[in-house]
Order: sequence, then C-alpha cells, then structure tokens
Amino acid sequence: MADSTNSLVSKPAGRSPAAGRALDHLLAALPALWLLVVFVAPLGFTLVFSFGHSSFGGIKLGFTLDNYAQALSGFYLESFLRTIQFAVSGCILCLLVAYPAALFIARQPPTRRTPLLLLVLVPYFTSFLIRVMSWQIILARGGPAEFALNLLHLLNGPLDVLDTQTAVFIGLVYAYLPIAVVPIYLVLARIPQPLIEASRDLGGSALQTFWHVILPLSRPGLATAALLTGVPMLGELVIPVLLGGDKGVLMGMAISQQYLATQNYALGSAMAVLVLIAVAVMVALLVRLTRGFEEISA
Amino acid sequence: MSAPSGAARRAGGALLGLWYMLTVLFLFAPIVTSIVYSFNLGSLNKQTSAFTGWTLAWFADAWNNNSLRHAVEISLTASFWSAIVAVILGTCLGFALVRHPRPLVRRLLSGLTYILLIVPETVIGVSLLLFYAVTRIRLGMPTLVAGITPLAIAVTALIVRAGVLTLDRRLEDAAADLGAVRWKALWFVVLPHLAPAVLAAALMSYVFSFDNLVISSFLTTPSISTLPVYLYGSLQYGPSPAVYAAATSVFIFTIVLVALAGLLYRVVLRRGPRPVRPR
Repeated sequence: MADSTNSLVSKPAGRSPAAGRALDHLLAALPALWLLVVFVAPLGFTLVFSFGHSSFGGIKLGFTLDNYAQALSGFYLESFLRTIQFAVSGCILCLLVAYPAALFIARQPPTRRTPLLLLVLVPYFTSFLIRVMSWQIILARGGPAEFALNLLHLLNGPLDVLDTQTAVFIGLVYAYLPIAVVPIYLVLARIPQPLIEASRDLGGSALQTFWHVILPLSRPGLATAALLTGVPMLGELVIPVLLGGDKGVLMGMAISQQYLATQNYALGSAMAVLVLIAVAVMVALLVRLTRGFEEISA
Repeated sequence: MSAPSGAARRAGGALLGLWYMLTVLFLFAPIVTSIVYSFNLGSLNKQTSAFTGWTLAWFADAWNNNSLRHAVEISLTASFWSAIVAVILGTCLGFALVRHPRPLVRRLLSGLTYILLIVPETVIGVSLLLFYAVTRIRLGMPTLVAGITPLAIAVTALIVRAGVLTLDRRLEDAAADLGAVRWKALWFVVLPHLAPAVLAAALMSYVFSFDNLVISSFLTTPSISTLPVYLYGSLQYGPSPAVYAAATSVFIFTIVLVALAGLLYRVVLRRGPRPVRPR
C-alpha cells in the first residue's frame, strides 16, 4: 500500500488518456462478456433450436418452421393469445391500483414521502414465493378472505375464487404492484408545483388539473411501470400454477412442460421465441413512451 | 381559491389516503397470513385454510427436516457465490453505465441491464437448460450460480449507478491531476466513496439470489435443490405448516438483510455533492 501511494506522486507521466480509456473499456467489457456467456448465448441457442427438428428426447439442427406452425395452432395458439391478454390486462390493473397510491405519496411533504414509499416497497423485497403461497390460504374456502367478506356482508356463503382466473389476476397485481408504484411516484414527485398552481389560478378544477396537467406529465412513469410489470408477466410461471389451478394454461407453464415433461425441446424453443417476440413488441411500443424518464429518475 | 373546490380537493386527498392505506393492507395481508399460519395447528399434518389453533411444533419440525436443511445450505452457498460475482461485475457495470466515455456504449449497457430485469425468467430458465444440455456441461452448483447471476448483476448495477451519480466527477479529475493513473484513481478515490452503495448492492443481490425460484427450478438436480424450489415443490402436494414455518424464518432473515441494505443506501443518498451529469 505504501509503495503505491509513493508512486501516486512520482509518476505523473502514467496518466496517458489511452491507458485511462483502456480501463474504462475493461470495466464495460467484463460484465458484458460474462452476460454474453451466461445470458445472451443461451437465448441464442433457444433461437437456433427453435428451427430444429425434434427427435425423441433430443433435437436435430436444421431449418424448419414446423415448430412455429405447431406453436401457433390449436391449444398452443390459445395459450399464447391468453398469455398476451393476461399480461396486458394484468398490467393495466396493476397501473390502475398503483397510480392513486403513487399520487398520494407524491402529494405528501418531502420528508414523509420516503417512509411511505418504503412501506409499499418492503413486500417486494421479501420472498416472492411466500407472498404468492399465502394467497392459497387467503382465497381458499373457509379462509381469511371468505371470513372477512362475510363479516362485511359483501358475500353470503363460501368464496369460490381459488383456481380461477380472478385468483391469477389478484396474484399478478399483487406481485408486481410495488415496482409499478416506484416509477409513477418518481415522475409525479418531479412535477413542478407552480404548474399545478397555474392550472388552478386559471380556473381549472381539481379534475381538470389532473386530466390536462398531471396525467399527461406522468406518461414516462406510467410507461416505465408498464415495462417493468407487463413484460415479465408474459412469462409468468409460478402465479398461474399456484393460484389458477389447471384452468387456462399460460405460456410459462406450457413452455416449461415442453422441457420438463414432454421433452419436445424444439417446440418448447419455438414457444419461448414467440414469448420473446411478444416481449420485444411490448418493449418497442413502450420504450417510445418512456422517453424522458431517465432524466427524471436520475 | 373558492371554498367548494377546496373542499373537493380535500375530499380527493382523503380518498387518495384511503386508497393508499388499502394498498398497503393488500400488500401486507399475505405476509401476515403466512406468519400467522406458520403457527397453525392444521389437521393431519397438512395446512388448512381455517385457523385451528396455535402451536410452535412446526418450527421444530422444519428445523429437524433434513432435506429442508440441505436446501437451506444449498441456497445460502449459491446466493453467496452469486452475490460475489454480482458485486464484482455489477460494480463494473454500474460504473460504466455512468462514466464510460462513449454514449453509445452507455446506451447499450443500460439497454442490457433493463433487458436482464424484464426478460421472463421462464424463457431464461429453459434456455439455460438447453444450453447446458447441448454443451454437455453437467448441472451443479456452478451452473446454478451462473444462472442466477444476471439478475443479481442488474440489481447491483442499478444501485451502484445511483451511487456513482452522487459522486463528484471532480474527485477523479483531481486524482488524475495529482498524477494518479486511472486505475489508482478508481481504486483509491472512487471505490472508497462507493463502498456503502457497493455493500448495499451486495446485500440486495444476495437477497434476490436467495429468493430466485423460476430460473433455479430449471437448474436444480436431486442433490442441488434450493430452498424456494424445495418449498415450491412441496406446495403442490398439500403442504405441511412446516413449509410456512420455514418461509417465516426466511422472511425474518430477508427483512434483516434488506433493512441493513436500506440503512447503507441512506448513507449513499445523504452524502455530499449533487449529482454531476456525465458529459
């Protein structure tokens, strides 16, 4: 350590700009290379094998579109369309629940905002599995939800929600709600107060101010929230399995079955690529709308 | 400001407050349920939806369950190595996201980071399974660790990035003017300032790795199975309340780590100069 501090002073010639840039390139290249091997390359394999011929328990390289034809017909097409429908509606529900909560936090005095935001965020950092598996108890017949709803006279008799699509939606909204609140809150907190006052002074009602000033300005936050919730929902595996029973298979389940049970890797790969295409389309649609978020969130 | 509109605004604010409280209730209900039901007597060694009585027996049951203990050991080890890799590579990435001289590289890297966060885990999991099958690499601890690192790297990079943004760029310039070569400026000047962010990131990447279920479920073997995968498997056959007892213990472990990370992160944000934008 002592040597190096000495040379700090004695070697000013060492700071050639090229050497500095080499280190910056290295810092970027190390993680990029690692991710190339453990993340990008496997996805590439999936893409290549989605065009291969499936053989029993294995896969032969080649070029055929049969897997895609199969993945886009009958049962598999149904689950693909259902998955997109679930992700889009799950995402919209999530934003609808998150927006008022984020607006409430943003309207508080600055010192109170962080604890309120943390309260929403803490559940997200606890185990995903624990949070989802509890819904099995809450929503089950004779469970806490049935008890509470009967107590409030909102329901008379047993609650039949577990193993339905409703339960899946509850699970999806629940699991992704915290990460939807954060980006929306970040944009709402940055809307300059004078802008809102100006709208009021010009005679705008609370509703008009919201509709014409606040809502348009929260666009990048909403789009970022949609990106963080809707896109991962396209491959959701655990929530439908635990809460949806066997009704309405989604792509996540269908793909994992091709790999773990049926062992038709080629078909599974084609279905995985279809999900990736749906991901890319959703990202392309939303990224445009997130423009301006980077500056806000930084 | 006219009186009725003021009243309307207050009513709107009250409604928002109510909505926020309901949201928080919604978010915490399952966590509370899971904790309460880990003390549930159940019936015939199975968890029941109705609460049948208090007992501590399930915690003893979980503690004495050898496959559960083995799964916990695997989880602790795998997330330890994943966090190590994530801290090293994620810190590099987080720094490069802000300070890399080329805007194009910065944009590519930040695109990559967000892709890591949003590509559905199921797709990553099956791709890894296929990748290892084709390259004939045997599944084991190293493949499991490698599989869960991308997410941990993304989390680390975003936290470190936030730390780098609060760093005054002039610190590096001053070090350079005083004759420090680039790596020495980074190692002796920048890294010590980033230490709280890096430590917070290490804890968070540990938590995320420990919690990983979907990717791990494709990479586990009979001898290498993580705790979430074990619990998930047992959920599908009518779980014993011992599963909930184990889950509650994990919850407390996670909360402690997250709280530590949160404290460190506060140190990062409280400190010093305003963010300096990259040129």
